[in-house]
Amino acid sequence: MSHINNQRRQFLKLATAITATVMSCSSMQVMAGILTDENKMDATEQAVFKKMLAIALPTEGTTLVNPATLPVIPTIEGALLAGMPPHIRKGLNQGIHYFNQSAEKAYGKPFTKLSDADATAFVDAWADSDVAPHRALAMGIKKLTVLAYWAIPNTWAPLGYDGPVSEKWGLKKRGVTPEPQA
Amino acid sequence: MSTTQNQLNVKTAADITAAQLDLDADVVIIGSGAGGGINAYELAKAGKKVIVLEAGPYVPSEKFTEMMAVSMATLYEGEGAQSNTDGDITVLQGRCVGGSTVVNAALCFRTPDYYLNKWGKEYGLTNLTPDVMLPYFEKVEKKLGITEVKGHETSVGAEYIKKGMQKLDIPLGLARRNIRDCAMTGFCFAGCKTDRKQSMMVTYLPWACNHGAVIYADTRVTKINTVNGAASGVNAEVVDPKTGKVKTRMKVNAPIVVLAAGPTGSPLLLQQSGLANSSGQVGKNFACHPSLSVTAMFDKQLNDFHGATHSLFDDSHTLPDDGGWIQLNAVQDPVEASFMAEPGTGKPYVRYMQNYPNSTRLITLIHDKNVGEVTLENGYKEIRYQVDDEDFEAMKKGLKDNARILFAAGAKYLYLPTSDKQRINSVDDIDSVIDALENEPARYRYTSFHPQGTCRMGADKTKTVVNPYGETHDIKKLYVVDASLLPTSIGYNPSETVYALASYIADHINQTNPS
Repeated sequence: MSHINNQRRQFLKLATAITATVMSCSSMQVMAGILTDENKMDATEQAVFKKMLAIALPTEGTTLVNPATLPVIPTIEGALLAGMPPHIRKGLNQGIHYFNQSAEKAYGKPFTKLSDADATAFVDAWADSDVAPHRALAMGIKKLTVLAYWAIPNTWAPLGYDGPVSEKWGLKKRGVTPEPQA
Repeated sequence: MSTTQNQLNVKTAADITAAQLDLDADVVIIGSGAGGGINAYELAKAGKKVIVLEAGPYVPSEKFTEMMAVSMATLYEGEGAQSNTDGDITVLQGRCVGGSTVVNAALCFRTPDYYLNKWGKEYGLTNLTPDVMLPYFEKVEKKLGITEVKGHETSVGAEYIKKGMQKLDIPLGLARRNIRDCAMTGFCFAGCKTDRKQSMMVTYLPWACNHGAVIYADTRVTKINTVNGAASGVNAEVVDPKTGKVKTRMKVNAPIVVLAAGPTGSPLLLQQSGLANSSGQVGKNFACHPSLSVTAMFDKQLNDFHGATHSLFDDSHTLPDDGGWIQLNAVQDPVEASFMAEPGTGKPYVRYMQNYPNSTRLITLIHDKNVGEVTLENGYKEIRYQVDDEDFEAMKKGLKDNARILFAAGAKYLYLPTSDKQRINSVDDIDSVIDALENEPARYRYTSFHPQGTCRMGADKTKTVVNPYGETHDIKKLYVVDASLLPTSIGYNPSETVYALASYIADHINQTNPS
């Protein structure tokens, strides 16, 4: 029993540590950096994000762009993971694995193998969990996924959002303000 | 010396080929944001040879993309990923030539007399009276074109919120901003592509260069050097942004060092250098004005996509005795909107985003206690900060006011920025939904644009880092001029406070160190 508790404590400590990573990295790091081999997604991470994308953005029957037609996963990898410091990258990897495996307790399968309905219920339950790292992981992984989708300009047209405007509006640069003279 | 050039004199990693660079100056300034930019100009204009070292890149405004996702990665500290240890507060700061002045909303408030008086009474800052500071506010307002928004400088969302405030008899606060001829793109946070926002990049920094100042971008300071208890310069590294590798080692010899690396960078540099911390207060007393954005859904399209980023506020509860919160309207692109609410995974989320054109939002920002700390852990920055329980209660009261304004404005329902689904469907539900909120980590989607307080200013050298004139108590001629100085949080956007304090300290440096 103490072994299990200890393992749980370690998991929670780990998850707490990666909370910051997942949550904060979701703050729109969508500019390709240098993607090293160490920073690339492993197969589990790919599968977790793919599953999350499928359940977070079920666009069938809507005017929104089908996420399967967009490079969302490469955006996550090329933007979020590229250039990430090694200790943070490692923590993120462990957090995503923890998230995936934790679905087994309730559903007998990892997150990536759940039906879309069960995966959705799992994410929503974790988003309202009493355990802070669960909330952080559910919110963070989903946030990363949808962020990478909406960061792709092709997704804006169905919303009527027109994106950058200065050139479109023909705005002139003011340039440097002249130095005030005494 | 030319006064007609009016351009930035910036050297980037691409311009520097030497493996070692040794430079001499009268003043070396670490950081090119509000404090650094103003000091660069005021000191260079007084005849001092000034070198400015900026860790971030130089991104000319024509390269600004007006896409938040890209801007975060290029212009922000930690590529927009800086957060507290729990990860539930994104702490946004600029990291580029011009610093946060490039990416802030340009909202300016004079420091309330309440705080200047409080700082005098509680921190011995009796030199910073409202009368003394008044000419400094006036000076920076004139130089930076700080004026109240004109009638047309608004947004669709702001106009709805204005109606809500009027219905509730809430006095309208009209934003004062350092913007000239605002084009109302709504892209303040992505950098102003046409130079209307009067950031340091188009004002004080090029003016400083008119007087001989040189700016080195891509250059991170690793150590502040001292001789016999006085500042003597810095060691730095020029980092190639393409590889992340050190390209050049730099040493700047200068008898005056001005630290303006921001409220997370400045204390870390002092800690790394083992300086100015006899009080043990370096990095402590971190506050950040946590804010939460409530998303309002209307039954028609508002298309609140562009306009003045902020034009309207309600500060009737901003001073601590009145509650300690302020409400601010904001325009928001779909990338930001995509994670500011939790309607539920899947179809509810898709519906939420489809209704993005029907949305606007009102931000509640709180005056918070200085309960956090910035430290280095295994060589990495840590911001240890959790929202204090009393501050969270203030936030809840602010959120209630926020929700009432949005419903009065015509909203049909609201989303709170939580990890779980929190929707308020009517005015009658406001109290019950918000009363049930508890102060828990990783439950809310906080944003902070206002880190502050980590090298606090005061007369007592056992309790503060910097003396009332900006010089560290321990190290002579080492000055701090950024928002680290603030002894308490001030509840309002602190940029004008920093502009004014930096000007004040620059005057003191010039008076005590004549050229």
